[in-house]
Amino acid sequence: MAKPAVRLGVVQFGLLGVLAVLVLRAAQVQLLEGRRHAAEAQAQRTEHVVLDARRGTLFDRHGTALALTQETYHVGIAPNELRDPRADAGLIARRLRLAPRDLDKALRRRYAWFAGPYTALDVEPLRAVRGVHLEPVLRRFYPSTEFARAVIGRVGDDGLGASGLERLLDSLLAGSPGSAVVLKDRAGREYESPARVIAQPIPGNDVVLTIDAELQEIAQRALDDALDRMDAEGGDVVMLDPVTGEALAIASRHKGGGARPSAFTETFEPGSLAKIFAAAALVSLNRVRPGEHVSGEGGKYQLPDRLVTDEHPLPSLTLADAIRVSSNIALVKFATRLEPDEQYTMLRAFGFGAPTGIEFPAESPGKLRLPKDWTRPSQASLAIGYELAVTPMQLAAAYAAIANDGVLLQPTLIREVRDPAGAVRYRHRPEPVRRAVTAEVAAKLRDLLRGVVEAGGTGERAALANFQLAAKTGTARRVVGGRYAPGQYTASFAALFPADDPQLVVVMKIDNPQKGSYFAAQTAAPVTRSMLEQALAARTVALDRARLSNVAPTAERAPFDEIKEINEPDGVVPYVVTIPTPAPLPDSERVQPARAVPDVTGRPLREAALLLHRRGFRVVVKGWGVVHHSWPAAGDKAAAGSTVTLFAEPRH
Amino acid sequence: MARVKGRHWLAIWLVALLAALWAVIARQTASLNAARALTDLRAERAGLEGKRDELERRIRTASSRAVLLPRAQKLGLRLPADTEIILVPTAPASPPPR
Repeated sequence: MAKPAVRLGVVQFGLLGVLAVLVLRAAQVQLLEGRRHAAEAQAQRTEHVVLDARRGTLFDRHGTALALTQETYHVGIAPNELRDPRADAGLIARRLRLAPRDLDKALRRRYAWFAGPYTALDVEPLRAVRGVHLEPVLRRFYPSTEFARAVIGRVGDDGLGASGLERLLDSLLAGSPGSAVVLKDRAGREYESPARVIAQPIPGNDVVLTIDAELQEIAQRALDDALDRMDAEGGDVVMLDPVTGEALAIASRHKGGGARPSAFTETFEPGSLAKIFAAAALVSLNRVRPGEHVSGEGGKYQLPDRLVTDEHPLPSLTLADAIRVSSNIALVKFATRLEPDEQYTMLRAFGFGAPTGIEFPAESPGKLRLPKDWTRPSQASLAIGYELAVTPMQLAAAYAAIANDGVLLQPTLIREVRDPAGAVRYRHRPEPVRRAVTAEVAAKLRDLLRGVVEAGGTGERAALANFQLAAKTGTARRVVGGRYAPGQYTASFAALFPADDPQLVVVMKIDNPQKGSYFAAQTAAPVTRSMLEQALAARTVALDRARLSNVAPTAERAPFDEIKEINEPDGVVPYVVTIPTPAPLPDSERVQPARAVPDVTGRPLREAALLLHRRGFRVVVKGWGVVHHSWPAAGDKAAAGSTVTLFAEPRH
Repeated sequence: MARVKGRHWLAIWLVALLAALWAVIARQTASLNAARALTDLRAERAGLEGKRDELERRIRTASSRAVLLPRAQKLGLRLPADTEIILVPTAPASPPPR
């Protein structure tokens, strides 16, 4: 056996060796691999979290929120942390709307997780319950789920806009997410300590749409009722402000409850709605003389390639008659005076064959072929609205151009963009695309359309008693799978309200109405009338009532054919102011005895109108200020329901 | 002047250490309390916003035509025809003073 000194030396050497290894290993861990280990340690103790940015709100034009972002919660439950499992489980089941059996089953696990998301109101009583862990998550919320759904669109599961305006405006609405670092324990649970914010999230911009919530509701409801009543396959309503190009209401509905934005994306042949654009070319190019007639051909007119028919033939027709009764034969005959290029140019000028430019994804340009691709019947077909595919939005924009003195505007859905602080970053200004026709021609076209709503016109059932409309009906065969489907029609109606100084353009389309008539005159026209009546009665609808009151009730123009003759010397279109004849009264009112017209002289108009209305009279107002006299005069006898005209003068 | 003895130094250092530790703990406690208060306020705000949204939704539903019109019809009311709507003309706007 070795000497003790040697053994001691060996032990010392061994210890030194172990120490050297430890020192070397420490040097390796700390000096060579130190950074990596430090990073791993930090990663185990801390976590980078993304702070979601609040998505901007979508408002209607009056500030009503249509889509907003809400804080909601996922709920996690640690059963072993619950103080009173039985009582707590009851409360949790009630608040999370869970069946007690399902909750019991979930609570048998180590950690139960309910994705929800649950609103702040749902989880409010759970905040104080030990063992319940809430994870906030931002969620898009639509106060009225079906309100303008196709237009507004939806946000996908990834929080990005998936359809409609949510998709188109995603970069504006989304904002920029922030980031923060939080501390975790060994088990990966976050400490209840303040997060170290690296970058604050920046909320998205708010967008004010041009939509008018009340008009939108009127349009949706009218469309729903009409489609149910007529058992139709679908339909659209578009309402535009012709002066600004702002879309006020856009409703689309289809059988089966689909929310397709068909007003922008699906085309149809407009039929007679397009006749006014053939008339625009004829009037612009002076191809029709005032009062010039063409034969009605007894309702059947044979072209080399097709037979053109009229539903209600007249012996002979002027252009105004052709528009008023929607004569295919007369329009086809008149259109032969146009060159294909002229006809094409006018349709292009009104925006057909190109997207309107409205801010909506996947807007259809419609279809308008170049004249070189036309066949022999194309010219006749285009004059009566066939061989042309348009969207309801294109039609509304084109009719708005007629209302806007011939200037085609780019329609828009966006009125304002505001940053999170509320400062306006963008405000819509009307954007003219081009002048389609001169102001004089546009006025003549409005006169033609005015005739449609008068007695004997196809749009008679849309007529309002106190406000004049300019409108056009259209009933066209429907294309299904590339062919005309037998017995299927599209009924459509376009209206300018009021005819003078229009404030609203309404286009309504009903696909394949199956119950009752399929003619637009009996389907789309009365529904449009009902929508306008509701709009007039609504308080907040975007109508300028001051302008309406100053132009509407009694300013009637002479028919188009007469205007030409009267108008020729000086180019001034005369206004013929007439006292309106009372509308036919219900039988119950006919038997009511005549009553004395009360004396309202000197009273403010509002007060006078209220008093006369209470006495059962209808009231028409001329001028403004206080009542000067009335007709019938005060004390005269007049039947209940008859009209009393108040003549007012400014207060001195 | 009496010289400070070694044990006194020890006591001074100990007090200094305790004071530093107390300051750290106090700061952390205050920040935790602030974080808790902030979380509570955030939760309260979220709760109030949720309540506001829910109330707005209910107001919107209750004042919608889908709800109001059937109720109005039950009460014998109806929408006015255009003949029953009178728009009182207003004075034309005067040009702005120059």
